Amino acid sequence: MTRNLSRRTLLRGSGCALALPWLEAMAADPARAKGPVRMAALYMPNGVHPEMWTPEGQGREFTLSPTLAPLAPLKDRLLVLTNLWNAGSVGGDGHYVKISGWLTCTTITKTLGVDISVNGVSMDQLAARKAGAQTPLPSLELATSPVSTGVDRNVGYTRVYGSHIAWSGPTTPLAKEIDPGLAFERLFRAGRPGAASGKGDKALLDLVLEDARQLKSGLGVADRLRIDEYLSVVRSLEERLERAGAKGMASWKPRVPVDPAAKPAEHKDYAELVRLMMDMIALAFQTDTTRVATFMFGNEVSNQNFGFLDGVKGGFHDISHHEKQAEKLKQYQMINQWHVAQYAYLLTKLAAMKEGEGNVLDNSMVLLGSGIRDGNRHDPHNMPLVLAGRAGGRIDSGKHLVYGPDSPAANLYVSMLDAFGTPVERFADSTGPAAGVLA
Amino acid sequence: MRAMGWVLLLPAAAHAQPDLANAHTLIKQYCLRCHNPKAATGGVNLQPLLGAADSFATRAGLWNQAVSRVRDASMPPKGQPGPTPEARDSFTSFAAARIKAAACADGIQPPNPRLRRLNRNEYAATVRDLLNIHINAGHALPADGAGGEGFDNAAETLFLSPIHAEKYMDAAKLALDYARRDPRSRAVFLEPKGDARGILEGFLPRAFRRPARPGEVDRYLALFEAERKRGGTFDDAVLHAIQAVLMSPHFLFRLETGQYAIASRLSYFLWGSMPDKQLFSMAEQEMLRDPATLKCEIARMVTDVKATEFAERFVEQWLGTRDLGREVKPDPKLFAPFYDAEIQSGIKYEPIIFFQEVIAQNKPLLDFIDSKWTVMSNRLQRFYGLKPTPGIRQQPVPVDLPPDSHRGGLLGMAAVLAVSSHANRTSPVLRGKWVLESMLGTPPPPPPPNVPELPESHDAAPKSLRERLEAHRANPACSGCHNRMDPIGFGLENFDVIGRWRAEDAGKPVDARGQLPDGSTFDGPEQLKAVLMEKKELFVRYLASKLFGYALARGLTAEDQCAVDKIVAAVQADGFRAQTLVREIVLSEPFLYEPKTPVVKRP
Repeated sequence: MTRNLSRRTLLRGSGCALALPWLEAMAADPARAKGPVRMAALYMPNGVHPEMWTPEGQGREFTLSPTLAPLAPLKDRLLVLTNLWNAGSVGGDGHYVKISGWLTCTTITKTLGVDISVNGVSMDQLAARKAGAQTPLPSLELATSPVSTGVDRNVGYTRVYGSHIAWSGPTTPLAKEIDPGLAFERLFRAGRPGAASGKGDKALLDLVLEDARQLKSGLGVADRLRIDEYLSVVRSLEERLERAGAKGMASWKPRVPVDPAAKPAEHKDYAELVRLMMDMIALAFQTDTTRVATFMFGNEVSNQNFGFLDGVKGGFHDISHHEKQAEKLKQYQMINQWHVAQYAYLLTKLAAMKEGEGNVLDNSMVLLGSGIRDGNRHDPHNMPLVLAGRAGGRIDSGKHLVYGPDSPAANLYVSMLDAFGTPVERFADSTGPAAGVLA
Repeated sequence: MRAMGWVLLLPAAAHAQPDLANAHTLIKQYCLRCHNPKAATGGVNLQPLLGAADSFATRAGLWNQAVSRVRDASMPPKGQPGPTPEARDSFTSFAAARIKAAACADGIQPPNPRLRRLNRNEYAATVRDLLNIHINAGHALPADGAGGEGFDNAAETLFLSPIHAEKYMDAAKLALDYARRDPRSRAVFLEPKGDARGILEGFLPRAFRRPARPGEVDRYLALFEAERKRGGTFDDAVLHAIQAVLMSPHFLFRLETGQYAIASRLSYFLWGSMPDKQLFSMAEQEMLRDPATLKCEIARMVTDVKATEFAERFVEQWLGTRDLGREVKPDPKLFAPFYDAEIQSGIKYEPIIFFQEVIAQNKPLLDFIDSKWTVMSNRLQRFYGLKPTPGIRQQPVPVDLPPDSHRGGLLGMAAVLAVSSHANRTSPVLRGKWVLESMLGTPPPPPPPNVPELPESHDAAPKSLRERLEAHRANPACSGCHNRMDPIGFGLENFDVIGRWRAEDAGKPVDARGQLPDGSTFDGPEQLKAVLMEKKELFVRYLASKLFGYALARGLTAEDQCAVDKIVAAVQADGFRAQTLVREIVLSEPFLYEPKTPVVKRP
């Protein structure tokens, strides 16, 4: 009993997962011990203070900028990327085009909803599509706030666009989990082989799938797509339930078991919510419940109040329209730096999770960025982007990479997909891999 | 105060109608260089719009595209010469009117309703009514985005992600675990007929919102039997089959046809939930196309307690107040009283209960512009600086306002005043924009790219916000829209960020005068509301199209706008009565439309 209790206490402090016995077991299998490659992308809305982001110097000789200062202890594990952008995000409007296209490198169709399309697939989902079957959850979509309400008539876009970075298809944004407790439960259950009454649930799902198939013949094209969407999500659930038999999953077990008692408590504010979500990404990666995750600090145009930072007054979006006033710029930079500090927290946590000879961060790629540079001007050129981790040695980190002006961010994604083990010839408007990224 | 000239304040309404030639000239002058038959930049060729006069009928889609790009000033692109704001307004109002006229000419042909699933709130309310339980089974489902007229029930934006399948399974389990232990719930769905077949025969039609089809019950019964064979108890096995019912596309999607489709349209419109017994039986007897019957049903439904669901869903999304206390948070250090739970809920529910009351009591819709009453608890009365009415306690109720209250109508409500403010200060720009957008349906276009900054103050004494905004409006690139927005907002400056009345701001008397582009002036919210009252047709039309979009659960087409014309005319003829609006929407062709090809083929 005492052992149990102290273990739980330890777990709360260290981020939810049990350690030793499993690691020892894994050490027997060198390939497994090394750990798979994971990929995460963290989105900051409203851009950054443009003069405080880019490091001084290039290549391996660089000095972190004030906004990136919280990353100092991790400097040799970073790639700071300068001059990348998504050419498709020019025009349209200030925000929606920039966020929805962040990981798709496309331009979105202007609509209040009827013909919604990002005209592409986000790169995280491309990775999940190819490698997702190896883990209980193909990918994990986390955020701090639900999809924004309403449509934006001023600019003629549905706010659905401003609320999603992960798109599994041109017309399918992925819903986000915004409650850390629920995210934890999902991870916990997904990671337990043979949980629940597998057989009965399978019969149940077979029945409703049959309902859907029967329906389809009588429907128009658009409606049939909706039912296809239904069929695909129910089928994916069914596959997960019987994953013991599914291809490639037979050998899956959690790399580290999850303790149900480590479920996160209610968060009391935004800062705590973000921390807990970082914990969930770390837990998902450590246990290998998924290898692909996205997180949104906020929806685009978020007016999150950052009054909890000393000296900041007012909402994020309002402040991002700083009108070059020194006072507002200062607050803008503080908010940006706070985001970077949360990113540093996640990276540090991943680095503390031992895996084989290295740690989880060594085996990961964690991207932080925004589709906008200067929020005041909605500037899409030179997106703020930083990538951490070495993807199991595939990435040559510790550099500030400066590309020619307006180089495609898609090139970076081509390199990341390669490092992830799901190489593609081309991605959106890519012209090749991004120089200097891969080792 | 004299009648205001709204010529510059409102883009669409009052312009002299330019003729077709002017519209053609604008296209030739600014669009055709790129959008001609040869170049067709972006796949768009506007040449066909210049041909025959009936292009408004034959090329409505292309016209619509041109109108929306010119209206939101996204075309011509940055750096290219473009029309003046006034020319844009003339062009769009002329073309929009002609598109509509052409669409209406050959009668209203609504589009087939798109297949849509229940959204999160509808799911929760439906499970509640189906099982007679009082928990929110949908709380763990992801929120839904909005499309169409700005509501989260729009078919086009109700997507499904893998997470939904998991959550629907969990939600059904949760609800059924709860229901099996609750005698009131068991009485509704488990115990009326003892055997499994009886239970499923009772449950299936209610869950699928239409009679069971041949063989349908048998398939679910087979699931029950399989579970029994695996050793489950009777209850386990029945609930297992019922869980499948709650996962079925027939439950999760709105797939009803004929009279049953009308019953569901009515109930999801006015209750946000499934039809009740009476609606079912009326559908069965095919009574739901009869106007007299529908009138009675509407009167019954809007006074039912479930109409709160309707009021809450519609009002929060119409006014943008759903985000209040979540995305929109007044600074807690400056506006602590807002964070008193009772005050905050009073603020959030004031417009909702107000709306419900207007509909249930069949009051004039103009009460939203100005009214001699509002909905308050005793705490909210004090918050508003009013003397508490004896007998009014915690429960918010309709209360008559004293003559000098400054309240009444939407613009006296703290919820509205707070969502149109910054966290730490009021913003005449945001409030003016809110009125143009949410009350009049004439949103200003987005600011031009490279917005010039508000000029920095170089004087010894810092300039007031009013002075800075006035300087801003001196810039012709800004004045077109800000002359419309800012004055309205200044008229509301007597209300602080959380809607409390103030005579002074930062030690200076509040200046609530607004000067409109035509030179006429007003002072304070009362006079501003009088100005808006003169634009009541515009307000009622906008409210009608919002409510219509909500009722149809989709964006409105040009042909739907013809139906809106009829609805508004009927409402106006009946003294703007609220139930007339609801009734005319229900009786409209698009609402009662039956698709030519049935959505589902009967097996």
